[in-house]
Amino acid sequence: MQVTTHANHSADSQRQTAMLQTEFNKYKNSADFVAFKFIKEKTRDYSVRNGKTEDLNEFFDQGLMIEVMINGHIGYGATAELTQDGIKKAFNKARAMTETASRFAVHRFDKNVRPAVSGSFESNRKTKLDKLSLTELFDFLKKTSLALKKSDLIIAAVADAMLIECTQLYFSSAGAHFSQEFDIVVNSMSATASNGKESQTRSLHGGRGNCLQVGAEYFDVDSALQSCEEISAQALELLTAENCPSETCSLILAPDQMLLQIHESIGHPLELDRILGDERNFAGWSFVQPDDFGKLEYGSPMMNVVFDPTVTGQLASYQFDEVGNTAEKKYLIKNGTLMAGLGSLESQARSGISGVANSRSSSWNRAPIDRMANINLEGGKLTLEEMIGKVERGVIMYANRSWSIDDYRRKFQFGCEYGKLIENGKVTKTLKNPNYRGVTVPFWKSLAGLTDPATVETYGSPYCGKGEPSQIIRVGHSSPYALFNNIEIFGGG
Amino acid sequence: MKNYLKLLSTDLFSELKANEELSLGLHSEESEFIRFNKSKVRQNTSVLQHELTLQFQADNKSYKATTMLSLDPKADRVSLQALIDRIREDLALIDESPKVTKMQNHGQSEVYKKSQRPSTHDIVKKINAQFAGSDLAGLYCAGPVRQASLNSTGQFHYFENDHFFFDYSIYDGPRAAKGFYSEDKWDDTAFANQAALLKNTLSLLNKPQIKIKPGTYRTYLAPMAVAEVIQIFNWRAVSRSAFEQGFTPLKKLHSGEQLFSPLFSLTENNELGLNSHFNSQGEISPKNLPVIENGELRNFLINTATAKEYNLVSNNADAGQWNNEAMRSIDVRAGTLNENELLSQLGTGLYLTNLHYINWSDPQAARITGMTRFACFWVENGEIAGPIQDIRFDDTLYNLFGRELINLTKQQSTFINTSTYQKRALGGMKVPGLLLNSMNFTL
Repeated sequence: MQVTTHANHSADSQRQTAMLQTEFNKYKNSADFVAFKFIKEKTRDYSVRNGKTEDLNEFFDQGLMIEVMINGHIGYGATAELTQDGIKKAFNKARAMTETASRFAVHRFDKNVRPAVSGSFESNRKTKLDKLSLTELFDFLKKTSLALKKSDLIIAAVADAMLIECTQLYFSSAGAHFSQEFDIVVNSMSATASNGKESQTRSLHGGRGNCLQVGAEYFDVDSALQSCEEISAQALELLTAENCPSETCSLILAPDQMLLQIHESIGHPLELDRILGDERNFAGWSFVQPDDFGKLEYGSPMMNVVFDPTVTGQLASYQFDEVGNTAEKKYLIKNGTLMAGLGSLESQARSGISGVANSRSSSWNRAPIDRMANINLEGGKLTLEEMIGKVERGVIMYANRSWSIDDYRRKFQFGCEYGKLIENGKVTKTLKNPNYRGVTVPFWKSLAGLTDPATVETYGSPYCGKGEPSQIIRVGHSSPYALFNNIEIFGGG
Repeated sequence: MKNYLKLLSTDLFSELKANEELSLGLHSEESEFIRFNKSKVRQNTSVLQHELTLQFQADNKSYKATTMLSLDPKADRVSLQALIDRIREDLALIDESPKVTKMQNHGQSEVYKKSQRPSTHDIVKKINAQFAGSDLAGLYCAGPVRQASLNSTGQFHYFENDHFFFDYSIYDGPRAAKGFYSEDKWDDTAFANQAALLKNTLSLLNKPQIKIKPGTYRTYLAPMAVAEVIQIFNWRAVSRSAFEQGFTPLKKLHSGEQLFSPLFSLTENNELGLNSHFNSQGEISPKNLPVIENGELRNFLINTATAKEYNLVSNNADAGQWNNEAMRSIDVRAGTLNENELLSQLGTGLYLTNLHYINWSDPQAARITGMTRFACFWVENGEIAGPIQDIRFDDTLYNLFGRELINLTKQQSTFINTSTYQKRALGGMKVPGLLLNSMNFTL
C-alpha cells in the first residue's frame, strides 16, 4: 500500500511542479526579477504520556512565495491558493505593494542577490520517513513512555516524536532552478518526579533539543530504553538533591546546554540584519558593530566557531539557502577573533561585511531573512576526565530548561535541569536548579578548556524565533564540553 | 469563505460512519505586512492563507490534522476525504485515549468586525511622512483574520476581524522609545500625537546613562512592562493540566500557603472583544472567568480534555502552546494610582516602560527573570534623573504581585496580541501600571 501511495504522491508532485512552472512562465517577465518558491511540508507530532495516547497531530503545509523586484526593492506575495486565479491574485498584490514600497526602500539591490544556481539536495537517510507508519511510531512512544515511568513518584512520563518531511522548489527569471528535500526527526522524552512537596523534570537533552536530519532508522527502541532508564533515575535523584549553591566558581557546560549558550550569545548577535537594525523593534539589536569584524577578541584563543550547513545529518544542513546562495563552511570566530557575520547576500550588499549563505524562512508564507543554520563550536584537546580533574571547585550543568538575554545579546541567564558538584577534581553530588548568568564577551574570554572532537555532541532547536512578521526556523548546534572559570552560579528558591 | 466552508463541511460530514465524529476549525487570513527600518521599507509581504484543522474521532480515539485549503473546491474536497480515509484506517490500530470526549453542538453564530483605515499603500506614505526625520523600526500589519468552528453535530461558529496594528520603536543611536498604534479607526491626529509624545520620550533619553548596581529598588512598571510580566502566567502557570503534571509555580497560591496582594486580580475577560467568542472546539468562552481575585487563586484554566482526565469541571479554556491551557483575553484590574502622581509616588527608584525576554528562573518558586528594554529611567525624589543602562531582574511572582505591590494605576492600556508566528494571533490584554516597593535586580 505504501508503495502505491508513494507512486501517487510522485505523480501528484510532478503535476504540481508542471503547473507551477506554467504559471511562472506567465509572470517571469512582469518585473525586474521574479521568482517562485514552492514549499511543501508534512509534520507528524505524536505523544504518549504514562503509556497512554496523549496527542496525535499532523500538519500539512504547502504554498507558494512569489518574489518580485522593482527598482531594486524586493517584495513578496505568498499564497496557499494554488490555482491560476490564486496565483494571479498573489502576484498582482505583490507587484502593487512592491511598487509603492520601492519608493521608500531602505536599500536598492541588484540581481546579484539572487544567483542563478541549479541543483538538488536530499537529507542523508537509509529509510525515508514516509515509510514509518503511525502504528510503528506509536509502539516506540508507548514503550519509551512506559520505561520512563519507573516509579509511582514519576507523575508524567512523556515520549514525543515529531517527524518533518519538507520539499522546497525554487525557480527564477535569472535562471535559478533548484530543489531540496529534508527528512527531520525531533524526539523528546521526559520524566517529571514529584514527592508532593516539589517536582523536578529531567529530559533527553532538554525540551526539543534532540533533533537531526535522519530517516526512520533513528527509531532504535533498545537505545532509547537505555536513555529512559537514565532520565527517570535522574528525575528521582533531583527530588532529594541539594540546591545549586550561589557562588562564583568554575563551570563545565555539557553539549546540551552549550546548544543554548552558542545559540543566544554567538548565533544571534552575529546576524547581520540584526546589526543593520532590522530586528530592533522585536528580537533586538547586537552589541557587535560593523567595525568589529576582523578585530574583536570575542573569546578565548581556543574558541573556533563555524557556520556549516555542509555537515551531514545536522538539523540545518542544506546545499542552497532560500535565494540560491550555495552553502559553504565558514569560520565566524577563529582562534577567538570575530571574522564573519551571519549575513545573506542582501545583508552583505547593505553592509559590505563578509557573510554566508543564510537567507532562510520558516515556510512559504514568510520572506527570507538572515538566520542561523548549523553553528558549531569545534572541539579542543581534553578528555572529560581531564577537564573535571582541572577543577578545584565547580559545577557541571546539563540540559537547558530556561534562557534569557538582553536585546543587545550581552547579559544572559540560563537554567539547567541537572547539575553535579565538582570538588578537588572529582564529581561528588547531584545538584538541582542549577543556574548561571554572565556577559557575553567576558564569558567567552573565560573559556578555559574544551573536550576533544570525539566528545562533540550534536543538537539543535526547531524553534528559533525572529522576524517581523515572526517566524521560527530550525537550527543545529554541535559542541564539546566546555570549561569556564569564575562564573556566577546560583540555585532555586 | 463562510459559504465555502459550509459546502465543504456538508460533503465531509455526510461521508462519516455512525461511530465517527468530525470537527473543522478554520484559520484564514489575507494579510499585508510592511516591515520598516530607518523609517523606510525593508520588506513588504502579502499573505493569503487558509488553514483547516480536522479533528476526527471514533471509538474513544482522536486525531488532529491541519492542512491548507487551496480554494479549488474539487481539489480540496478530494484531498480532505483522502486524509479522513487514511486517518480512519490508521486510528483503528492505535490505543484509545483517556482524554477523548464526545463532540457537542455549541450553537451557531456569526460575528464580523472591521476597522476603518486607509489603504496600506497610503499608510506606508503616512508613516514615512510622520517619521521621515526619525530612525524607526517596526511592523505594520493589516487585513482580515477569520476563525470558524464547525462539527458533525451541527455546530457552526464564524468570526471575522479585519484589523490593523503598527508596532514600532524609534531610535537615537542606542536609545529607543516604543510605540504601538491599533484602533477601530485610523485617526491621523491621534497617530501624530502619539508620534510627538514618543519623540519627546526619546529626547528624555538624551542624557548620560546611569549604571544601576545589583540590588533591590522601588520600581514602577508601565503597562507595556506589566504586559510582558503577565505573559508568564500563560507559560503553563494557570494551566490545570500543567499543574497536574508537575509544573506548579502557583502551588502555594493554590493551597493558600502564600497569597498575592488583595490589590491584584487577574481575569480571563472575553468581553474585551479582542478574540473570537468561541475556542478551538467551538465552546463558547465565559464572559469573565476570575483566575486570581483579590490575591487568591479562583480558577485554573481547564479545557474539556483536562476536565475528563482529572474529573473536574471545564471552564472552556483553550489549548495554548504545547497544548497546555492559556488565557486569550487578559484583564488585570486597575488600582487607584493616578498617572499624574506616578513620579511623586515612586519617589526614588526605577521607572521601567518595557521589559524583555522573561523566562522562568525557578518555576517551583514562581521566580522569573528578564531584562529592562527601551526607555527606562532612574528617578530621584520624583524627578527623572536620566536613562539607565539595561539591567536584569530576578524575582518571584509572590513578591511582584504580592508583598511588594503598593498600588496599580487607575488607567489601563489595551494591547492586542501581535504574535505572527506561522499566523496572526487574536486576543490580547488590558493592564494598568504597577508600583512596587521593591524589585530585585542582579546584573
